[in-house]
Amino acid sequence: MKRLAISLGLVAFVVVLLMVMTRPTRLSPDVLPVHTPDVSNGARLFHAGGCASCHRSTEKDAETPVLGGGLEMNTPFGTFRVPNISPDPDYGIGNWSTLDFVNAMHNGVSPDGRHYYPAFPYTSYIRMSFEDLVDLKTYLDTLPGAENRNEEHDLGFPWNVRAGIGAWKLLNLDPAAVVSVPSDNDLLIRGRYLVEGPGHCGECHTPRNWIGGPDNSRWLAGAPNPDGEGRVPNITPHEKGLADWPHSDIEYYLESGLTPDFDTVGGSMVDVQENMSRLPAEDRAAIAAYLKAVPPSF
Amino acid sequence: MSRFFVSIILSTLFISSVAVAGSDPIAKRQQLMEDTRDAAKAIGGMLKEQRPFDADVAMAALETWKKTATEAGELFPEGSETGHDTEAKSTIWSDRDGFNEKMANFNTQVDAAIAANPDSLETLNAAAGPVFKACKACHDGYRVEKED
Repeated sequence: MKRLAISLGLVAFVVVLLMVMTRPTRLSPDVLPVHTPDVSNGARLFHAGGCASCHRSTEKDAETPVLGGGLEMNTPFGTFRVPNISPDPDYGIGNWSTLDFVNAMHNGVSPDGRHYYPAFPYTSYIRMSFEDLVDLKTYLDTLPGAENRNEEHDLGFPWNVRAGIGAWKLLNLDPAAVVSVPSDNDLLIRGRYLVEGPGHCGECHTPRNWIGGPDNSRWLAGAPNPDGEGRVPNITPHEKGLADWPHSDIEYYLESGLTPDFDTVGGSMVDVQENMSRLPAEDRAAIAAYLKAVPPSF
Repeated sequence: MSRFFVSIILSTLFISSVAVAGSDPIAKRQQLMEDTRDAAKAIGGMLKEQRPFDADVAMAALETWKKTATEAGELFPEGSETGHDTEAKSTIWSDRDGFNEKMANFNTQVDAAIAANPDSLETLNAAAGPVFKACKACHDGYRVEKED
C-alpha cells in the first residue's frame, strides 16, 4: 500500500514537472534593448526571412505585399493555415506589443500564451537579435492591413494537442549557433546569422530526426521535399552538394536564379531566390562564404 | 550466327531509337529542354562575362527559345505523366490552365526579347531577364526538383 502511494506520488510528480516544463514561457520585458528602430534594416530582414512567401495574400510581384495569410500547407500532420500578420488591429498583429512579437519569433508563443506549431520556423528565428526583431516589427507595421480571418489549422490527433509542442520545444528549440566560425571573421558571422537565423535555410535543407527536429549532424545536407515530390538539395560543400560551385556561382545563383549549368531555380526555392535577390550584394556574398564553410556531409 | 544476333540487336536499337525520337513526347520535351538550357548557357555565359558578347549567337539562342515556346506546350499529353525519369510535375495535368498560362507568358517574353534585337550586353540583359523569370515561374509549380 505504501509502495503504491509512493509510485502514484512519483507519477503525479513527473506529470506536474512535465506540465511545468512544457508550459509556454514568455520573456520578461527587460530583455528588450533600448533601440531606435531602423525600418530599412527591417525590410532587409523581411526579404532575408522571406516572410511574404508564406504570409502574403496578394500576387507575388505586387509592389507592396499584403500579409493576410491564408495559404494552406498540407503536411503529414494535417493542414496548417498561415495566419494574417498584417498590421490590422483586429485580424492581424497590429495590436501586438514588441514583446509579443519577440515572444512569437523567439519562443513560438502567442500573446495569449499558446504554443505555435513549428511550421512557423521559430527554431531558426530564435537566433535573431532583439534589435533586428524590433526593426522587423517596425517594417511590418508600415505594410497595409488585411481584413480577413483565416480558418484554424486542421490537424489530426495527437498533433492537435498543443502541450506536445512544449515537449518538442524542450528537445529542439536552441538559440546556439549550429556551425562554429572564427570569431574574427565578420563575413562568416554575417553569413551564419542570415542562414541559421532569419533565412531559416535549415528548415528545408536539413533532414529531420524521428521527432521532427533538425538532425544537425547532417546540417544542410539535403532532405525530402516537404511539399511532396522530389528532394531539397544538399547545400554543404560536399561533392553531392556545392563542392563544384565557387563562391561567385552561389552569389550569382541567389541573385539571378541560374545555376552554373544555366538551369533555373525551381520549386519553393524560386520564391526564396527572388527574396534573396532583394538583399544587398554583401549579404549574398556572406551567405555564399558561410555555405562553403559548413562541414561537408550528405 | 553471331552476326545474326548483332543485326537483330542493332535493328531493335534502331527501331526503338526512332520510336523514342519520333513519338515519345517525354523524350521529345526532354530534348527540347536540353536545347533550351544550351541556349541559356550561351546567353547566360555572356551575361556572366564568361564569353564575349556576340549578337548573332544571342539571336540564335533566342530563336531556340522561340522553338521551345512554340512546341513545348503540346508535349505534355495525357498518358505522359510518368516514365523516362520525367521531372514534369503532376500539377501540369491537374492545373492545365495554369500551366498553359505560364507557357503563354514564356512565349510573350521570348517574342519581346527577339523584337528587342539585342546588340549589346546591356540590351541583352534587359531582354533575357524577363525570359529567365518566365522559366522560373513555370519551374516553380510545374517541375519536380530532383537531384542530378
